[in-house]
Amino acid sequence: MAAHLDELRTVNNYFDLDDILASQEKIPCVFNIAVEGLGYLDQSTNDPNISVGTKLELPFWLAKYLNRDARGIVAVETPKNYREGYRQILAADPSVVDLHRLGPHFYLFGGKLAILNLPDNQDVLNTLLQTFQGRFRRIMDGAQNALHSDLTSQTDMLDESELNLFAAGQRGLVGFQQWESRESEKLSTSTMVVNQRKRKWVSSNGDAGD
Amino acid sequence: MAMDPSEVEFLAEKEHVNIIPNFSQDTIFLISGDIGPFSAGLPVSVPLWLAVNLKQRQKCRVVPPDWMNLEVLQEKKQAEMDSRFFTEMPSPFYIEITQLLLQCATDDIPRADEIRTLIKDIWDLRIAKLRSSIDVFIKSEESHAKLNFLTLMEINTVREFLTKGLNHMHQLRSNLTGSGATQSSQFL
Repeated sequence: MAAHLDELRTVNNYFDLDDILASQEKIPCVFNIAVEGLGYLDQSTNDPNISVGTKLELPFWLAKYLNRDARGIVAVETPKNYREGYRQILAADPSVVDLHRLGPHFYLFGGKLAILNLPDNQDVLNTLLQTFQGRFRRIMDGAQNALHSDLTSQTDMLDESELNLFAAGQRGLVGFQQWESRESEKLSTSTMVVNQRKRKWVSSNGDAGD
Repeated sequence: MAMDPSEVEFLAEKEHVNIIPNFSQDTIFLISGDIGPFSAGLPVSVPLWLAVNLKQRQKCRVVPPDWMNLEVLQEKKQAEMDSRFFTEMPSPFYIEITQLLLQCATDDIPRADEIRTLIKDIWDLRIAKLRSSIDVFIKSEESHAKLNFLTLMEINTVREFLTKGLNHMHQLRSNLTGSGATQSSQFL
């Protein structure tokens, strides 16, 4: 039961690697106040300081804390991949869009944007849900039909969480196919033993030196 | 997480089938129930695992279950094609029983090859139906669905995929309703 709840609570999984990676995605910010000595962050000028109005792309984890209220250090904007133009593309036909290129953690990062209270928050979240619903059938059919073939054509447009889903579908299919061809009842050598060609003899008392 | 198909098969092996032994022996007392007595030439009902074992040692002939003949299965297939919903299968373990019996007792089952093909057709029909109903389920954003007459093996092939998919959708929906946002803000 506890494991099940943990799985549901993916919104802020502290140790989840995908979550960490998603929070590194860049988000466009405008500085509301001047910051001294941080000019090196802005590659385009030689000014040692950051002046008011400078536009910079900051990682989400940083922008989140600099933008805590209306008078925060920076003001954030919706990242390009989630703006109206891309939302329209996704609404037109979600299943042909290359989500991996739009951000390998498209859904996760999109969900994180919610806490920034951007003006088009609700539209972004709606788009995420509809995109997933639109792409679901394709992922399912791909995962349940492709066997022993090159999968890159199926998977290279998928976002990381969709890839995860695809792999789960594949496991179900492969497991059944192996059972059906009576592979699962055969004993086979562990892949670890196969891959390890020759085992080195190590002295048990530790003085293998001489 | 999903069970391995061989574990599902293990459960299916508890189903009873009739065999005709060619030896005689008193009743065997097991925790799961008494089996026998066996008398040569008289049909007796035994669990599938014992039937397979005896057959492999050539101690018996297997009597195929009633539903394992061409007419019944052809009707079943037609009914499955005509119905929008899943129809009831003659046995909740139809695919496992077919698989095991056709593997070890081919000589006892008339027209085994055609039966194998028919069962596979029925399976494919049902899986295709299952997949389109999952798709409708996801698209309609329902929170529960009722599917009668699905068998364990069928559920098992989609279980991990479906639960992951629903989890993902739950996450996207809880973003929308705001419960996700409040949860994140605890850490701010």
